[in-house]
Amino acid sequence: MVLEAILLGLSTGTYCTMYCGPVLIPFLCGSEKIGYKRNSGLVGVFLLARLATYFVLGAVFAALGFLLNEYCDPVLARKLSTFAYIFCGLSLLCNSLGVKFPWGCGENGGCRAPKLRRMGNDWITAIVTGLAVGLHVCPPLWTAMLRSVFGGNGITGLFYFVFFYIGTLPFFIPLLGIPFIAKRLPVIRRISRVTQFCVSLYFLIFLGLISLL
Amino acid sequence: MISCLILSALMFLIVTFFVVIMNDCSVISVIYAAFLMFLYIRMTFAEHKKSGSGVIYRRIFQTVFAVGFCMAFISDLYAERGSMAITENALSSAELPFCHIAIPQVLVPLLVTKNIIFPARITGHYAAVASMLLIWFICTITVGRGWCSWICFYGGWEEGFSHVAKKRRIKLLPKNKELREFHFGFFFFIILASLCELACVYCDWFCPFKLVTEFAPATSIPTLIAMILFIGLFVGLVVVLPILTKKRTQCSSLCPFGAFASLTDRFSLFGMKIDTQKCSGCMKCATTCPFSAIDIKTIQEKKGHPEITCAKCGECVGVCPQKAISYEFRFRLNKGGCACGSSGSGKKSALQELLHPAHLFRFAAFTFSAIMSSGFMIKALNLVCNFVTSIGGAK
Repeated sequence: MVLEAILLGLSTGTYCTMYCGPVLIPFLCGSEKIGYKRNSGLVGVFLLARLATYFVLGAVFAALGFLLNEYCDPVLARKLSTFAYIFCGLSLLCNSLGVKFPWGCGENGGCRAPKLRRMGNDWITAIVTGLAVGLHVCPPLWTAMLRSVFGGNGITGLFYFVFFYIGTLPFFIPLLGIPFIAKRLPVIRRISRVTQFCVSLYFLIFLGLISLL
Repeated sequence: MISCLILSALMFLIVTFFVVIMNDCSVISVIYAAFLMFLYIRMTFAEHKKSGSGVIYRRIFQTVFAVGFCMAFISDLYAERGSMAITENALSSAELPFCHIAIPQVLVPLLVTKNIIFPARITGHYAAVASMLLIWFICTITVGRGWCSWICFYGGWEEGFSHVAKKRRIKLLPKNKELREFHFGFFFFIILASLCELACVYCDWFCPFKLVTEFAPATSIPTLIAMILFIGLFVGLVVVLPILTKKRTQCSSLCPFGAFASLTDRFSLFGMKIDTQKCSGCMKCATTCPFSAIDIKTIQEKKGHPEITCAKCGECVGVCPQKAISYEFRFRLNKGGCACGSSGSGKKSALQELLHPAHLFRFAAFTFSAIMSSGFMIKALNLVCNFVTSIGGAK
């Protein structure tokens, strides 16, 4: 079961990176400060947030089991994806425009939550987009989800999900090398900001709001 | 002078073969061949007399080609489908014509998924994926981004509109850098979104040239929004802004192929150089450049070449009062550097003149243009002739 989940993650991880790429690549390239440690931290936070959503989804679906067939909307995946795009688009838009989150600290103004003083705009964006991307039900995730739902008891299903997630992680390793390029080409940062802005509007309007019409 | 005659004779052979013989020696093909030869000979001799003075013939060619291409393409669509709208049948059987703008959008998904995400034929058609990829490859290693200013059948629309007004109403020069950054930012967005959606996002939503080619019929709210977008983008970026700015705004801010060609241009044989010793910093080149490829910084920092988005149109060559801008070979032919085309002292031999990068670049670009345009232009000219005859008959 563990091997099957990891292999599923490994064989379909390309698609996961294809979905996460438009969110992560411009965000990391356009990040406020460029450095290997910070970049790795942002990728880690993003992936942990994504894992948190998967964990919740996995737990819910595994607990529901066969009841899912009875009570859930068959186009749930599509609806979840639409909301994921809107949620993700909004957070990317805020980040690309430099809008601070309510709990963030202003340049001169005080912090609403002083304990979160060190949490810059980028870290919040990494968490929010990670949570949002986790909601985006891509085909590999859907496969893992169904296997988790119909695979037996709740706990097994939940762990199936986690191991599937671990299987997809190697595909994110190349993202750790982003500072290598960004440091050599400073113009990349400004271009990435534009890309991030375009991606956020595309997610928000074309994949989110228009899909709701 | 001898070099001009040799090049004209070579062009005559090329035009005769690709335009006249390949089109069954019809009267229309002979007329079009004569038009091409007129443009080439005038351009070559004008350039020989005064470098940069032949650009007007490039402008004429590209504008005529753009109009002719759209006429021929739309008539083909009407003959095949009865309308410009994309039919379900054409979409499901992957029969849509593939154009060069879609190339950067399909390349990355092709590498990742081994699938062509555009619903077009792979081979066996003039607008098939394989033929367009081959054209792109040949173009990359020869003229590079020169495609945009010499061969692109969409760029001619902007080329034409950017020369409608006499006076420049909006000056884009101080915003050149931002425009280029937006262009590349938008390009990377298109690549990432196409990879994420496994669809040609630019073709689906942002291509302004749907107005003069084919489009999805407005049968739902998303398709209606797409229609509003492409009409708005065509009117804004292809008509209004080029008239106001005298720049090719769509080519230098939105077109993903333009950005892609800028990135791959380093593999082409030809480039442009600015002689920093001769340059007086008058900024005439920067103001004239239709692709926003010369900035105030380019000149002040004495970079010696235009920015990455240069499309080698040659507009700057003619306006430079110091004659500081010229074409160059990107690859040195020998260790000491190629003497070809250098304006050294003494009389230049005919061979040296023949191997001048400007001559060779224009020859390569015009050959490409003649081959690409012949089929469409002959069809368009036939349409015009039929129309004129039918009017005459009705009278």
